[in-house]
Amino acid sequence: MDFWIKNERGQAQFKGGRHDWPQASAIAAGCLHFSLDDEDELVAEEERSCYNCRYRRWTEHSFICMKR
Amino acid sequence: MKIYVGIDDTDSIEQGATGQSANQLIKLIENQRWGSCQGLTRHQLLLHPDIAYTSHNSSMCFTADIEAIYLNSLIEEAGKFLERDSAPGSDPGLCVVAAEQLQGAEELIAYGYETKKRIVTKEEAYTLARKLGVHLSEHGGTGLGVIGALAGVGLRMTNNDGRFQGRLKIKKPGATISVAEIKSSSPVDRVQSVDGYVLQENEEVRLGEKLKTVLLDGMRNLLVYRRESGREWETCTNAHLENY
Ligand code: SF4
Repeated sequence: MDFWIKNERGQAQFKGGRHDWPQASAIAAGCLHFSLDDEDELVAEEERSCYNCRYRRWTEHSFICMKR
Repeated sequence: MKIYVGIDDTDSIEQGATGQSANQLIKLIENQRWGSCQGLTRHQLLLHPDIAYTSHNSSMCFTADIEAIYLNSLIEEAGKFLERDSAPGSDPGLCVVAAEQLQGAEELIAYGYETKKRIVTKEEAYTLARKLGVHLSEHGGTGLGVIGALAGVGLRMTNNDGRFQGRLKIKKPGATISVAEIKSSSPVDRVQSVDGYVLQENEEVRLGEKLKTVLLDGMRNLLVYRRESGREWETCTNAHLENY
């Protein structure tokens, strides 16, 4: 299943919004680009999650992955 | 004299974090013995595709008590520090406000709230800084960090915005301790539930993994919640604090 949608700028936006903890963690588990963001920017309890990744750029309702 | 120092946009996608830069700046001020610095807070600004933020569009602010004679040196050295130590490709901005000299704090606060609601331009930030007579300067790249640097100070002045940088270390996760003990063993001023109930000194709280505090009513608050079925107060998780 594809968890990403292209936004109007052609960027990969996460379909799961800001609170799909299991999915964000599952994606990060298999992602070679994952890089833990600064402590103050961590949102998910499980460390390895797109929500805690330096390459996620928050949008109002979700985030864009800067590596996709 | 009490000053507010706001900085923003010192990081790039690959490198740095504005919170770390602010901490280094605090060290620089204290190592020079210009004064002592207090609580560093992170303030969330608008998330919008047309704003050139790196990944979260937040700004950092701290306060300091300094001798007035050091104010100019501090501003000069802070600017040099941002130029030297910010990530390549970043757009750092610096704002320094001397509380006693500021006329029009309400305008600065209103500006802070505006940056949460709409796109503010660099020109607007400079115009307001000039009008209020506060220091605002850019130190590399597009200099767009001035927008957030000024906003960080305005939002800090609300006394009701932002999270404190870093986490508390009190006892191991899972420990249950009283509010009095939390307050005596950490910088926490108040323990409050997410819906506004202020806990009494003898009430007990179960500590979670990551203890973060927020700025409310000018105090450093540790926020707690109760699970639906639970009777015990527990400290909030990062997810609870995302709107602070
Ligand atoms: S945000 Fe992007 S780079 Fe980071 S873990 Fe998720 S998919 Fe990978």
